[in-house]
Amino acid sequence: MTTVRRHLDRLRETGDLISVTERVHWEGAVAEVASEATRHNCPVTLFENTSGTVRPVSGVYGGADQFASADQRPWQRISQALDLGPECSYTELIEHLARWETSDIDDVTDESAATVRDSGDIYSLGLPTTSDGTPLVSLGLLVVERDGVTTWAPIRGRAQRSQTLRLSVPESVVEWCTSSADVSVVLGVSAAPLIAALQGWTQGQTTPSVPNLAAGLADVSVTTVGSRTVPSDAEVRIDGRMNAVESSVTEETEPRAAWELTCETATVDVNVETVAVREDPLVPFTPLGEPLTDDIHLMCLVETAKLFRRVNNYWGVSPVEWIQLPVEGRLGFCIVSSEILYAGFEWQLANTLFSFSDLFDKVLVLDEQADPTNLARAIDDMWVKAHPANDWIFSEPNASSAAAPLYRSDDENGSRLYINATWDPRWDEEYIAPRVTFETAFSENVLESLIERWEELGLDDLLDERGVNTDHE
Amino acid sequence: MTTSSLRQYLQTLETNGDLHRISEPVSWNLEASAVTMLLNEEDSAVPLFENVDSARLVGDPYRGTQRRPWERIALGLGLPSDLSYREFYEAVIERLKNPIEPVTVSTDDAPCKEEIQTGDDVDLLDFPWPYIHAGDGGRYSNLHTLVAPDPDSEWVDWSNHRTMIHDGETSSVLLLAGEQTPNLYYYKYEKRDEPMPVAITVGAEPAVQYTSVMWIPTGRNEAEYAGGLKQEPVELVPCETNDLSVPATAELVIEGEILPNERRDEGPFGDYFGYMHGPRRSMPLFRVTGITHQTDPILPFCVEGTGVGHSENTTSSMEIGCVGPDATLGLRTAGFDVECCAPWKSTPRTIYAISTEKTNPSYLHDMANFIFTTWGMLHVDFFIFVDADVNPLNQREVLEALALHADPDADFHQFGVETMPKVPLNIYQTPTEKGDIQTGTSKAKTAKAYIDATSDGAGREAQPTHDIERRYRAQKILERAGVESSELSFVDPGEATQ
Repeated sequence: MTTVRRHLDRLRETGDLISVTERVHWEGAVAEVASEATRHNCPVTLFENTSGTVRPVSGVYGGADQFASADQRPWQRISQALDLGPECSYTELIEHLARWETSDIDDVTDESAATVRDSGDIYSLGLPTTSDGTPLVSLGLLVVERDGVTTWAPIRGRAQRSQTLRLSVPESVVEWCTSSADVSVVLGVSAAPLIAALQGWTQGQTTPSVPNLAAGLADVSVTTVGSRTVPSDAEVRIDGRMNAVESSVTEETEPRAAWELTCETATVDVNVETVAVREDPLVPFTPLGEPLTDDIHLMCLVETAKLFRRVNNYWGVSPVEWIQLPVEGRLGFCIVSSEILYAGFEWQLANTLFSFSDLFDKVLVLDEQADPTNLARAIDDMWVKAHPANDWIFSEPNASSAAAPLYRSDDENGSRLYINATWDPRWDEEYIAPRVTFETAFSENVLESLIERWEELGLDDLLDERGVNTDHE
Repeated sequence: MTTSSLRQYLQTLETNGDLHRISEPVSWNLEASAVTMLLNEEDSAVPLFENVDSARLVGDPYRGTQRRPWERIALGLGLPSDLSYREFYEAVIERLKNPIEPVTVSTDDAPCKEEIQTGDDVDLLDFPWPYIHAGDGGRYSNLHTLVAPDPDSEWVDWSNHRTMIHDGETSSVLLLAGEQTPNLYYYKYEKRDEPMPVAITVGAEPAVQYTSVMWIPTGRNEAEYAGGLKQEPVELVPCETNDLSVPATAELVIEGEILPNERRDEGPFGDYFGYMHGPRRSMPLFRVTGITHQTDPILPFCVEGTGVGHSENTTSSMEIGCVGPDATLGLRTAGFDVECCAPWKSTPRTIYAISTEKTNPSYLHDMANFIFTTWGMLHVDFFIFVDADVNPLNQREVLEALALHADPDADFHQFGVETMPKVPLNIYQTPTEKGDIQTGTSKAKTAKAYIDATSDGAGREAQPTHDIERRYRAQKILERAGVESSELSFVDPGEATQ
């Protein structure tokens, strides 16, 4: 099982984690540094020296902007956290998430891994604060049980007072359980429970068996608190009682998490009774409202996996090579790469995606040669391969408004756009322009000749000095 | 210090550790371009091939780094290497605002006259013109300045049109009607059945090379703008076989004429779109009348196609470093309130992003229509307008603006009606649509488009440039924690002071 601690150890080993050892105050400054780190594609940032109990860490499940460099794999930290190995490709990760497999949870221990520390002073934890100075809660889970079934749901919120958390949760969770249930809020859990919680409650259907979904994604270890099944690797566990809050008293002004775009939300207060922590607890958090944050990465992958699963089951064949909601587009843009089976297939494909997701209203259709690891090249095809007059297709303005874009927030209907950057299947083969790549631009003889003289040409030294791998050999 | 020759520029590159000399024999037949493409893709040094038959080749000498594509353009202008893109743009704009007249030097003082061949001695095949991609129609010179005069005025246009070598005396030149020099040829010289005198200047000093890709207004003296960029007069020298003057510091000058109603095959060629462009077409014939050159000349070339996606080449870097500032200046001169006009970083030419303070729809409509009627727009299909605090060169920021702020219902304009001229190099056209062999135009029209991806104030948080001090402190904490700013595109030097 890849706990947060194990995940961070691996990131440290591969140079993808930096420790901030100088004193950074949790009030404002930690979130500010985290914002800069995510915005500028920095490694995972661990704050070792803040005045509170926890050690905040940002970017744990995020990743770099793929435009920034060919080496960037924005999903890599998540695939690592799911223990899928360093060579896991984007498509393999999506296929893994798309399976929605459930597994029994065998590894239930009776002992709570985190130790009860006090009777519930949220402020003393030293969670990073929002701009108004209240502790931020992100990348955590609400744990609640009904009729012997425990579910885990995504949360976003803040401390309301020293012993009250005010959280946004999927409305369907509140409807599913009683509104005054005993609950736990867990922070610092591994990737599988976080992803499973999104799959269970934000995908247009209610799937309460989230712990089993999580176990289908990766090994998870759980323990029992009260009657609830709780991830035992949680770094911080806050137990208390949940109360629904009337919508009239919740005036949201702060940035929301990405998952909140995907479902109706409700506001609840958790009256904290006890706080349990591990020794030197690590709490992943994300500076909401910034680009490239962890919540965007997680939601992009979860929504993509849903679409991949549904589209490929829909056709009876599997022409779709890959789908991506690039994190750079903040859930407002969808790319699909597919074999175009027949003329007009791209129209069907784009509209299928629109019907399966409410998040975006722009779809880019690429041919099956497109590479999911090269976003820059994929977007280039939108500009050079799609005919501006014929291949940018706008719908009649009768479509419901998409959730991610910031226009038409009044829910008025509007248009959708898909861009067809594939070769027209009606074209003769001779019309198709071959791509210019290292492999296609030079004959094997030329490449072999160069490889034989690699050293004489000084390329070994040159590329080695710059940290370049010489896979071309 | 301003750089006065290609050699001096390469020396500066070498001093910076950015030049890779290859003294082993390398063939012009794909080998030089294969090495160059590899180094382009790996963001490595510029290769100088010192042992290629009778001359030297340099692959993509002005290619910038993938993170800072304007970096080596700045080097050629003697600008500091650590300028932010905004500082670089403003520096180039200031220089373009202050043109300097050229001076004429004697043949004896012109390096490009060290060797002179005219008459029967002329042989293009004496030089190792590279065969760049397997599948190309032939060997090319594709990084040069074509000097061509207007027959009705004193105006001389400098431009960059690739030429495919056919034999010792002739080549075909890619002249696409709609651009300045091709228009002179098709609509003046050829209509009068007159040959067009030209000089192809290979390996001219950086300021000249940069000027030849800029959108210098018709009728203006390009040499003056090159002087402005250089901050010194450019030295010109008369040709041997026609009345043109050429930059004296060029490595090699091919003098000749483009003949009326004569055509030769051109292409296919692995083009700037990143695709092998076809079909083979007929283009105007260039006949050589003289060649002058420096001893042991250095011939620059560009591996087109590698400027797409995550790599750079000279074309894509010059688009950002030269055309971008020039276009920004052009729009400001026309009275538009433009923060910056810059090409989509990984897509040379087809798409430009414009950041602007004024975002009301009628203003953007007027600006777009102004742009689409200028001659430089033949290659550009799209403009995307973004808020003033969005960096047009940051593709993430622009894609985010497109995704979140461009309403398919209201913000995409001029799609769906094919009314505008198009360059026949576009790969979305069928071969039938692409070619008119007589005038180098496309048979079809296209639909240029502009996209309003400005926020209109709706739900958008400003980019954090307004809070520079806090941002700077946060960045310093990260730097002290070990973030390598140069490798992680962390802090754009100079940006924090704006």
